[in-house]
Amino acid sequence: MSAASAAVAINTFREAVRDRVLYNLVVFALLMIGAAVLVGQVSIGIDRLVIVNLGLSAISAIGLVMAVFIGVGLVYKEIEKRTLYSLLARPIRRSEFLVGKYAGLLLTLLVNTAFMTLALAAALYYVGRPFVASDVSILVAVYFILLELALVTALALFFSCFSSPMLSALLTLAMYVTGVFSSDIREFGALTHRPTIEFVARVLYYLVPNFHDFNQIGRAAHGDRLPLSLVGQNTAYAALYASVVLLAASAVFSRRNLK
Amino acid sequence: MRPATRNRPGWAAALGIPLLLAAAGLLQQRIDARTRSEALEGQEVLITSGPLLKKLSLGYDSLLADIYWTRAVQYYGSRIGERTATFDSLAPLLNIATTLDPRLVVAYRFGAVFLSEPKPLGAGRNDLAVDLVKRGIRANPNEWRLYNDLGFLYYWRLKDYADASATYLAGSEIPQAPIFMKLMAARIAEKGGSIETSRLILSGLYESTKDPAVRKALLRQLRALKAEEDTQHLDQTLGVFRQRFGRDPDSIRELVTAGLLPGVPVDPLGFPYVIGRDGRSHLNPASPIKPPK
Repeated sequence: MSAASAAVAINTFREAVRDRVLYNLVVFALLMIGAAVLVGQVSIGIDRLVIVNLGLSAISAIGLVMAVFIGVGLVYKEIEKRTLYSLLARPIRRSEFLVGKYAGLLLTLLVNTAFMTLALAAALYYVGRPFVASDVSILVAVYFILLELALVTALALFFSCFSSPMLSALLTLAMYVTGVFSSDIREFGALTHRPTIEFVARVLYYLVPNFHDFNQIGRAAHGDRLPLSLVGQNTAYAALYASVVLLAASAVFSRRNLK
Repeated sequence: MRPATRNRPGWAAALGIPLLLAAAGLLQQRIDARTRSEALEGQEVLITSGPLLKKLSLGYDSLLADIYWTRAVQYYGSRIGERTATFDSLAPLLNIATTLDPRLVVAYRFGAVFLSEPKPLGAGRNDLAVDLVKRGIRANPNEWRLYNDLGFLYYWRLKDYADASATYLAGSEIPQAPIFMKLMAARIAEKGGSIETSRLILSGLYESTKDPAVRKALLRQLRALKAEEDTQHLDQTLGVFRQRFGRDPDSIRELVTAGLLPGVPVDPLGFPYVIGRDGRSHLNPASPIKPPK
């Protein structure tokens, strides 16, 4: 990342903090405290399970909302406030600006997720459970959520390069839902027993981002060991796919008439 | 503008918000009272397909499983002890929870207890309880506790000693299974249905669970078993009395006076046993212990 991109990234992070984006941490903390106190009284035998499931699901859902709704406004806000023109008048390429914006939001999500993970650990400690070696899988699941958010942010940024924030948000969420069901697309194609449809379904399966493999919440909650190969594969997949989307975003944004 | 006038919206909000919120709360109470009477059994489960819910959960299926398990616990808890209550939605709730998270062992274990307990303490559906635990074993083949639960259902609820013994034996082959699983298999095969075997099974279950509600239910059954054992001994003593004196005793105390008992025997909760019209010993009608069915 260039120095110009890094400067944009740091400013994006500062702006998010100024906009009180991190206030969602209070909501998360209250959710964790509530769950830790109440779960033992309303259910049987799932104290730890529900804290991990709820904590990781909330980290994922809150992160998703942030990635989509902040992501779609990253470029739009700069155009709306006309700050983009003064920025692009400086020696910075449009692609560098986009990468900086992307990295800034990722930094925001990273800080946010780190604090939420600490709150989750505190809730687990509260329910009286000692930390064990298999808890590493919780951290791995959090890392996978971050990879998922990195992909969603890239998609949101891409759509925001050529459409309004509302439409971008809708398109990003649609891509996310499609990505969650991506394996079904392939299965539906196979069910038709028609080679053309099967081929189209398979192409679609590889085209849409696959979010399914990033979700390891259930396995982490049950204390399963998540294989290192999966960590490597998911990291590589997220990096590759996000790079493709960012390249496409740069191509679109570079050609966009900003007058 | 004077300062007092400037503060008027602030005062209005300070007074108005709590008042309006209280009014909304009262109105909601009225609506709840009306709709509660209209509530129908079965509304607890709007979507009965676990696989569909798994898809709709967008990846948050394990959290949804916890929610459905909690709903099953709440559903059971709200009906337990009510003579007219039905438990129609219990099995669907448990099926959904275990489809969403097939490794939710707690739902198979305690769900089977809720389903198999006779009414009004449960649904009285041994068939559904057996199905649930069998599904649990298929999804968690290394969980010896599920074999323990299934063995208990065969033994205690269905009196099927052959299947009970086979289940304990299958569970005993799991590497983490405690030695008592193998002992159970052998004992049931040898003396299925004896009080001693029943006590061993219940004690094994009591030791293998930490949940207070389930431990309480098992303790209730252990007490009932102890009472059954006591009444069997007392009936033998009554027979000795009849042989010796040629008549039935008027009360248990007469057995003590005759030197056949060291004192008036009491059940595990301290209530003295009584002699019924049939000439046999029984639990005191005032005792909360219910004889095992």
